[in-house]
Amino acid sequence: MPSSFKMENMPFSLLSEREQRYLRSSLDIGYYQAGEIIIAAGSVPEGVYVILKGRVGESDVTEEGEEKQEQVFVHYTNEDYFGGWSAIRGKAIHNFIAEEETICHVLPTKALLELCAGNSRFADYFQQSLSAKTEIQAQEGGDQDMAEFMLAQVKDGLIREPLIVVEGTSISEATVLMREKHADCVLVKRGNRYGMVTGTDLLDAVVIKRLELTSDVAEIASYRIISTTSDDYLFNALITMTQQHIERVVVMDDNQLTGIIELTDVLSYFSSHSHVIGLRIERAKTIEDLHEAAHGLNDLIKGLVTHGVKARFAMDLIAAMNGRVIAKLFDLIVPVDMQPHVCLIVMGSEGRGEQIMKTDQDNALIYRDGLQWPGMQDTMQLFTETLISFGFPECPGNIMVSNPAWVKSIGQWTQQLSDWSYRCEGEAQMNLAIAVDAHPVAGNAALFKTSRNWFMRHLQNNDVFFSHFAKASLEFDTPLTFFGNLKDKGELDVKKAGIFPIVHGIRAMALQFKILETNTFKRIEALVEIGQMKEEHGRELAEALALFIQTRLRQQVKRIDDASDGVDQTPNILELSALDKMERDLLRDGMHIVKGFKKSLTLRYHLGG
Amino acid sequence: MIIPRTIRKMKERMDHKNGPYAHLFAPYEGDEVVSLDCETTSLNVKEGEILSIGAVKIKGRKVMTSDRLDIKLKPPKSLTGDSIKIHKIRAADLVDGVYMDEALEKVLEFIGNRPILGYYVNYDVRMLEKYLRPRYGFGLPGKAIELSHVYHDIIKWRHVGGDVDLRFDTISKCLDIPMLERHTALGDAITVALMYVRLNYGDPPKAG
Repeated sequence: MPSSFKMENMPFSLLSEREQRYLRSSLDIGYYQAGEIIIAAGSVPEGVYVILKGRVGESDVTEEGEEKQEQVFVHYTNEDYFGGWSAIRGKAIHNFIAEEETICHVLPTKALLELCAGNSRFADYFQQSLSAKTEIQAQEGGDQDMAEFMLAQVKDGLIREPLIVVEGTSISEATVLMREKHADCVLVKRGNRYGMVTGTDLLDAVVIKRLELTSDVAEIASYRIISTTSDDYLFNALITMTQQHIERVVVMDDNQLTGIIELTDVLSYFSSHSHVIGLRIERAKTIEDLHEAAHGLNDLIKGLVTHGVKARFAMDLIAAMNGRVIAKLFDLIVPVDMQPHVCLIVMGSEGRGEQIMKTDQDNALIYRDGLQWPGMQDTMQLFTETLISFGFPECPGNIMVSNPAWVKSIGQWTQQLSDWSYRCEGEAQMNLAIAVDAHPVAGNAALFKTSRNWFMRHLQNNDVFFSHFAKASLEFDTPLTFFGNLKDKGELDVKKAGIFPIVHGIRAMALQFKILETNTFKRIEALVEIGQMKEEHGRELAEALALFIQTRLRQQVKRIDDASDGVDQTPNILELSALDKMERDLLRDGMHIVKGFKKSLTLRYHLGG
Repeated sequence: MIIPRTIRKMKERMDHKNGPYAHLFAPYEGDEVVSLDCETTSLNVKEGEILSIGAVKIKGRKVMTSDRLDIKLKPPKSLTGDSIKIHKIRAADLVDGVYMDEALEKVLEFIGNRPILGYYVNYDVRMLEKYLRPRYGFGLPGKAIELSHVYHDIIKWRHVGGDVDLRFDTISKCLDIPMLERHTALGDAITVALMYVRLNYGDPPKAG
């Protein structure tokens, strides 16, 4: 068919021009009435169907007595394709039924197989699971970040303030100064020239050349300094460093020293200043310093997203960063003599290390039984307020250390957990769900571990509890029907439809098998390892979750950019119209996986009926 | 026409009973239909010359776009001015076109004795026959199916009285069939084929 068939859509865009011509010449067009079965389960499909106009539902047929029940789990609309997998296997396992009048292009199986044989990436796309599809898509869009990297300039925030000493400074003085300022090189001014002394130079001077600690650093400095300008491309600086086997380049503008750039900084530019921000957090000495560093995190997130870093890795990084901000603030605010007696924990998504945009702070404090600290609540109030000023939004459920209900001794805390586990109403279950994702970030982690271990022992073999607990993951029903209405509704609450069922179901299983990890991805890995989940299922589940988070993140970043006040009012809503065909495809496959997972939960915890 | 078409056809059948083209006159037994469309320089059969021929087979409810005919002819002398504005085919587009003899051979082989479907199909049939008769001594043998008649019969049956709008665009809209490449011979042939399948197998359309 000439031009009505869109070659730009995946996976057909993977084909070469010659293969696309072959594909065009092999296409037929089929017409189906509403309600007509296009491919019946068990039959041999004619090939891959690509919808030109209309809507098709894929459904499972389960025969219950005399009544046939059909459960539609995927809808296909314009430009979607279906039946590819069935065609390759030679037999369909589901029914494909036209839900309205439908016109499809049909690519016969023979042609499909020939194309697959000639193009391995095209074949992979058809034959493999979601994770492979994501991989192929990721490779397709992979060139962009390289281009951005190439265009970055030296002045894009990588220049460090140099540590300058005058001629006559002794080796020991220089070393002390470097330690104090956390610098690993020092510039020595001798007349009008600068010389560089690195940590290695100092070591060589003292250990190998056996110079006195009082000798002048100007004697051991290297005056052959390689320099660049601040508007040069960062890429050129990297080439210079590689060619000259050096790790630092001095930045000179109009013969004036501006600063130094280091190899590690240039390399970590790929992870978008994460290294630099990490250092700034570590170096913060006052709350104001920390405040500035914390605000840099938003740019970091944006950078990571535009650089196409996978959500899962970005989450790890952000979780580490947020954890460091909180821990640092704890150090600055809580008196040193109290620190060993209390433990600050973060919970919910923060505890799982799964938030990317700064989400509500969910935190609590556990203190040693019988601790006397009159100023505790005031300090905690200050702690929460400072975090809010850093841009961590207030928790609407008031799960914060400023709320005395979340500042407890070990005894009270464990009692609270066990109370919740006996109550089946919503709030207790929700609190419990938040609390079991707890993760210690500052203070004495042993306090937290004691209570957690006690609680896990306490739950052992309590099947009724697990059954109740897991039930919540089925609460938001049939996301695929929801998704099927995509054309009409135009948006999808991805948290209810996809993220929550996975996270909560995995949480219940992790709790049952005493898995100490709090991150959902790591929990899945652990469950696979102990044989409670098939490796293949685990991988698909993780991939689906990553996909939901990534898709959500991309829209969040966009909304924050568009909003005048920089606040995203509807963080969990996906606008389906903003997704392209490929992304909708992936989302649908992901929902399919969620559906399967829910089914397995129903069986495992006897939630049916 | 002086001699009625049916009589002329009977005569042709008799004449070619034992010739090399006898199979074209055998009554058709299968379930296939050929949708045919020509782009020409004029809508007047006497003046017009063919620029391109597109045809596609319909089997049951499937349009076999993989089994199709897409012929471009050498640019004729009358390819000028107004008609170019409609079909947007210039002489330059037809440089690698084929000669009429070759084209007709292909058309006959493709159609065989199948029924021919088209929109104002008589025009296309007479256009082709203008070239066929001098060379072969017979016209297109198959039965002609007029799309607008099929449409009209269904619409009229549902709405007694009143005029039925038979314009191509109206039918396409009413049947909710996407128009694929309007004014190329093959594109129009496929669109017509889809309309035909839609009329034969779908629910009756609402009157436009």
